[in-house]
Amino acid sequence: MTDPGDSDGKVEISFSVNGQRKTVRAYPMERLLDVLRCRLQLTGAKEGCGEGECGSCAVLMDGLLVNSCLVPVLQAEGSKILTIEGIAEGETLHVLQKAFLEFGGAQCGICTPGMILAALHLLNGHAEPTTEQIQEGLAGNLCRCTGYSQIIEAVAEAAHRRTTS
Amino acid sequence: MRSDPSDYEMLAPGSLRAIVSLLASEPGAWLPIAGGTDVMVQYAAGKLPARQLVSIWNLPELRRIEITDDEIRIGAGCTYTDLRRHEVVGREFPLLTRAARWTGGIANQNRGTLGGNIVNASPAADSLPALLVCDAELILVSARGERRLPYATFHTGYKKTLLALDELIQTVCLPRRFSEYFSHARKVGARNAQAISKVSIAALGRSAAGAVEDVRIALGSVAPVPLRLTETERSLRGKRIDPELMSLARKSVAAEIQPIDDIRSNARYRETVAGNLVIEFLNRLSQEWATTASNTVHAVLARWNRLPVDEAMKAILPCCGSKAWAQGTSALRPLKDQAAVLAVSDEICKTLTHSDWMEAFNSHPRIGESQPSHSPQIHSWQTQSVEWSAQEQGKVSDADADVKRALADANQEYELRFGRTFIVCATGKSAPEILALLRRRLQNDPETEFKEAAEQQRQITRIRLRKWLQG
Repeated sequence: MTDPGDSDGKVEISFSVNGQRKTVRAYPMERLLDVLRCRLQLTGAKEGCGEGECGSCAVLMDGLLVNSCLVPVLQAEGSKILTIEGIAEGETLHVLQKAFLEFGGAQCGICTPGMILAALHLLNGHAEPTTEQIQEGLAGNLCRCTGYSQIIEAVAEAAHRRTTS
Repeated sequence: MRSDPSDYEMLAPGSLRAIVSLLASEPGAWLPIAGGTDVMVQYAAGKLPARQLVSIWNLPELRRIEITDDEIRIGAGCTYTDLRRHEVVGREFPLLTRAARWTGGIANQNRGTLGGNIVNASPAADSLPALLVCDAELILVSARGERRLPYATFHTGYKKTLLALDELIQTVCLPRRFSEYFSHARKVGARNAQAISKVSIAALGRSAAGAVEDVRIALGSVAPVPLRLTETERSLRGKRIDPELMSLARKSVAAEIQPIDDIRSNARYRETVAGNLVIEFLNRLSQEWATTASNTVHAVLARWNRLPVDEAMKAILPCCGSKAWAQGTSALRPLKDQAAVLAVSDEICKTLTHSDWMEAFNSHPRIGESQPSHSPQIHSWQTQSVEWSAQEQGKVSDADADVKRALADANQEYELRFGRTFIVCATGKSAPEILALLRRRLQNDPETEFKEAAEQQRQITRIRLRKWLQG
């Protein structure tokens, strides 16, 4: 892993992304967001504010929702990362993705990957969340299009489908 | 300007020992980074002064929560999510759990750490006032060893702390003394969700009968450091919670804080709101006392109403001492509130016979003594009665020796004349007052004196019923 003696300052970092083992050579302070987007071509996670306020770069790291713009990639060494690209199973959309489509939870799409990851993190902890729990679970994810109602409805419906299917 | 990652070095040694020895090797050169929720924001803005970072994220040594008999020791690397999920923290330090819930969204709660919040030293930080009011202590660690200090001394000025260049916060220790306190927190910001506060409060309090027993108040964003209002606390303790106290509180808060004008608010607004927040806390504290008191009565009565009759009698007997009285009151259950209990007691008293009253009288110790004069042995139900007698006669035990001796003599004279212990409702009466009453009542004829003793017993019973209903 870390190799501070290397002349260009880069180190080798390995982690799993969407179930696949990846090794990158990167500067340790590169943001996980940039490594995903620029080195691994996983451009689902978006850069919004770049300071942890908007949630559009959210991914799961070892099952926990994190803002990837605030994670220096060295701290992702050995972890399991899940991005929006790893949510669907082949061509079959995840129940959250379907619900977002059906309920108008996605419009311009910038916030959507982070929203879905935040919603997934919520449902993993609360199989049947109340509206307040959905609001709290998504409070770190800003959307300037939908006004949130459709997103909240989509998450509630996805939870319902997951527990009843 | 965004920072260029190639300008930065970062190490993740993975153990606390290796990290503190790195910090010791070049004090001040290596900036510790935990979840990055502050450091990475500075980095993104090109404002991170350090060029060498050392990761302390997810170190097992810093991520433990230990419970001992007298304190909770929270590793400085515990995240807000760790705090929110911890049952004992939630039960005994709800202020800290609430602050954790208010700090950022879930993604930031998963990464932000308590130690990071302390070291970042923002006067607006949500968790810091909560730590101040519960007398937190910090354990700092370096290659030189550990030291422990009161958190209240840690912040020395705006963004200045006692942390040495080679030190880390290892543990935040919270004494388990405040779980019975009423706790109150409020944050005033531009909006409810995830706003940095304009003014915030964390407070603990205890009150009884509408007066402040103890208060502990800290405010955020009203001074260069998170501020404990020690002067205001002192001026509030022991006082009745009334409009006069509210205006005193407002003045005292204004004198103690040093608010400023900045991008989020201005000094005048902050001063007004700080006063409002403290007043709101005091109002809640007094409401809380009233609610708890009536809830307790409700709980004691609900339980008593359900008991089998013999157990119900046993439970209420110490309030009077007469079995006929206990039987009479228990038979009239269910009783809905304190007023009903007192009314029923008065009614039953009217029906008691001479021997019922004697039984009640004999359950009391002589004034100035601690055990019933006519019981060679203390029955288990009398333990409570003995304790109450001690409280009722509290002022007698403070009396000087001459008065006590005079009381003993008069008691003896009373017993010779009337053939029973002198009964008086002693609550709140001093020894000389009781002595004067006793001497007057020695002049009564036996029938008048019996009625007077019974009336005293009725009053004692009412006072004891109130205590009994308070659990």
